[in-house]
Amino acid sequence: MRKNIKICISTPVRYSLLAIRFSCAFVPLLLCAFAPLSLYAEFSISAEVDRKTVEITDSLYLTVTVSADSASVPEPKLPQMTNFNVYSSGRSQNISIINGKIATSVSFTYVLSPMFIGRQTIPPISVFNGKERAMTQEIDVLVVRTAAPRDPRARPAPATRTARPATQAEVNPEDLLYLTAETDKNAAYPNEQITLTVKFYTAVPLTSNPQYLPPQFKNLIAEDLPPVRNGETVIKGTRYAYSEIKTAVFGHEEGQARINPAVVIAQLHREAVTDFFDPNFFQKFISMNAAQGERREIKSNPLTLAILAFPPGAPPSFKGAAGSFTISAELDRKEIKTGEALNLSVKISGSGNLKVLTAPKLPDMPDFKVYDTMSSLDISKENDVIGGKKVFTTILIPRREGRQTIPPVRFSFFDLAAKAYREIAAGPFEVTVLKGDGEGANVSFVRGEQVGITPLASDIRYVSDKAAPPPAAALARRISALPPGLNLIPVFIAFLSFWLARAKEFRLKNPLLFRFKKARSEAASDLLNAREKLKGGLPAEAAAILYDSLLDYLSDKSGQKVSGLTRKKTLALLKEKFPGAGDYATGEIEDLWENLEALHFSPDGTPPERAKEMIEKYLVLLDMLEKEFRK
Amino acid sequence: MLRIKVPLKNILPAVTLALWGARALSAYDRSVLAEYNDLYKNGNYQSALEGYADIISKEPANPCGFYNAGNAYFRMNKPGPAILYYSKAWRLDPRNADIRANLEFALKQTGQAFVPDGVPRVLHYLYYYLSDDELKTAAAAAWWALFLLVSFYFLKPKSAAGTRTPLLAAGGLLALAGLWFIARSVSPFRDGAVITGEAPARLMSGPGENFKAYAALPEARLVKILDDTDDNYYEIAIPKEGIKGWVKKTSAEKI
Repeated sequence: MRKNIKICISTPVRYSLLAIRFSCAFVPLLLCAFAPLSLYAEFSISAEVDRKTVEITDSLYLTVTVSADSASVPEPKLPQMTNFNVYSSGRSQNISIINGKIATSVSFTYVLSPMFIGRQTIPPISVFNGKERAMTQEIDVLVVRTAAPRDPRARPAPATRTARPATQAEVNPEDLLYLTAETDKNAAYPNEQITLTVKFYTAVPLTSNPQYLPPQFKNLIAEDLPPVRNGETVIKGTRYAYSEIKTAVFGHEEGQARINPAVVIAQLHREAVTDFFDPNFFQKFISMNAAQGERREIKSNPLTLAILAFPPGAPPSFKGAAGSFTISAELDRKEIKTGEALNLSVKISGSGNLKVLTAPKLPDMPDFKVYDTMSSLDISKENDVIGGKKVFTTILIPRREGRQTIPPVRFSFFDLAAKAYREIAAGPFEVTVLKGDGEGANVSFVRGEQVGITPLASDIRYVSDKAAPPPAAALARRISALPPGLNLIPVFIAFLSFWLARAKEFRLKNPLLFRFKKARSEAASDLLNAREKLKGGLPAEAAAILYDSLLDYLSDKSGQKVSGLTRKKTLALLKEKFPGAGDYATGEIEDLWENLEALHFSPDGTPPERAKEMIEKYLVLLDMLEKEFRK
Repeated sequence: MLRIKVPLKNILPAVTLALWGARALSAYDRSVLAEYNDLYKNGNYQSALEGYADIISKEPANPCGFYNAGNAYFRMNKPGPAILYYSKAWRLDPRNADIRANLEFALKQTGQAFVPDGVPRVLHYLYYYLSDDELKTAAAAAWWALFLLVSFYFLKPKSAAGTRTPLLAAGGLLALAGLWFIARSVSPFRDGAVITGEAPARLMSGPGENFKAYAALPEARLVKILDDTDDNYYEIAIPKEGIKGWVKKTSAEKI
């Protein structure tokens, strides 16, 4: 009957837990290293029903068990069940800590009242721990008709379906079906139980069990009190079948509280009831198809309650608990080494709203490191009174060896019977601490208990309204679309630069060679300057330029500064350097040099005609020498 | 001494022109896109798809058109074309979170992993951080910078010490871009294709009907094209399964 799916999260998680067991010194580091993984522990869910076949007038128990190797477990999410009315019946929790390894198992019990005859399915029940989801498989349940009593009078007719009009009394059609809601008290202290009773009365047959929609509460916390009680009664001469649904509510804080109307949706049979006194009358209608009926929605009356303020004089340890409680506490061992974990369990039992109980404040214990406290909760609903026990377990790690004393743990509550505060205590406790290996681990029960976003489904993201592509992408696309040959340009530039660099280097290494080659062009430039001077009416300057230009030209060609040489030596030098040059050329050089020297140093000045003649003569000489020096 | 001097005032207009050109390339009428998106919003996916196809034909470099077309196909329950268009959009704009998310989602819906098992997501993100075009552009920029710096090095040897660091940087960038580009050749999206035709597509042992069909490829399966020179068949590989074969060109579309 048990169906479950177990989800294994990851092996490193188990390793991290083992690390706590074996090493105190390295545990902090290991916990840090594996912290993100251990946020989601291994967990599983299973569901079972107490029977696979149930009568339509009866209920079955569904137990959902969630187990995890962490301090807390997520609560299962019951799916929408349209074929059952579901009531929470309680929970019980088992927790164990063995050498720091925590194992928790919580059983949630629900009472399911079937609404229709036939094979009904309890859909998969899921539980989500923030990362992984585990779920049970479907459970099929056969809902059958109520077996006819051997003696119809020996057993009361099943409730909620129909009733027999007791007498011939005329009944107002509005009174054939109605719903009432009442509480056992109109005022209560916060966390004091108020019992709400919703009763559904019907004097007509129904095609199926009605659907019950519990009321909404304001400033109240509700807890179901199953099972549904069924019965028959006679009111003003009319026999009614009734269903009674009880709910415990607890005031949240001082002020007004409200219970909104409960709703029952019933399917009435359209045809007239022929024989209400037929012993099988009820079963006949139950077996009818629900679609044959007429849908009726009935609401109860709303209720207003007063939540009172606690009287003054509360002790410091009072945190709002109200009811009747006892306390006990125990250590898991009496002897321990420093650095080892010691479990202190404080159990609070009794009647009251245990869900909201917070852990008693532990006394100061300077000789112990005190770590997180985890709690386990068992809720019972016997005799419609919410009670049970809540165990708070705290890990203590002794710092010093020797005989240590843990002071009493105190808990205060408001005793509703005595209308007074009471403080109860457990302890003190003695423990012998021996010398251990280390300081102790950083132990934490908190394992990703964040209340996060609950993903419902996943889907693609919406369309984009960006008309343009990103500029960088568009630019990159344009550039990459350019002809690849363009990338040869920088290669060409590099080669050109290399050639220029080599040329420059060669020129620097051979200055005379370049002067020889440039002599003609520089002389031509000088000629232009001389002409400009002559045009400007400065024949003496023109003659001076020509004189200097001739000497520079001869220096560049001969490779020696000729201004420091005589004409004779210069001509000899030229003859030696350019043996192919004719005598006529050297004669012309000597003649021009002599004339220019005469003009340059003449005290009477330089006649323009003479300067012009020298320019022409120099030009002819240059052309001639360029040819002669190549011979 | 030769001196190369490029004034800043000449560079800025060139860059501006290039950027403006990039914008102009993508200057699609926003109102038209909004109109198509309205069709999508109202559930008229086929009409929206036709609009997106128009955008794609006019702007093949705009990832928006491909992405929205992928969405329309997805809504029409055609995962093959949806993955194809998401992949095209993603190749153009790999840093777009929406495109990435939808491609991953669609792949997951078809039982494929976007991030291969065992590969850290960060590494996967970095691997695809730049598009192929951006990688090419980065490589070209590094190439140009390298050779221009070499030229400068030749022309101004006295400044060699100052040139060395940028020269090394350009060389390193060129090597990085080149290696990155080569490493991307194993990507399933490079030379990739998606089975979009009638599913399952038959994987043949040769390019013709006379060869044996030895595997069936489901729709939306991402494959790698090895050879597309045949008129009717692609030679494809499925690296994960280690098989290759031929599928009809009508069964698969290139990313």
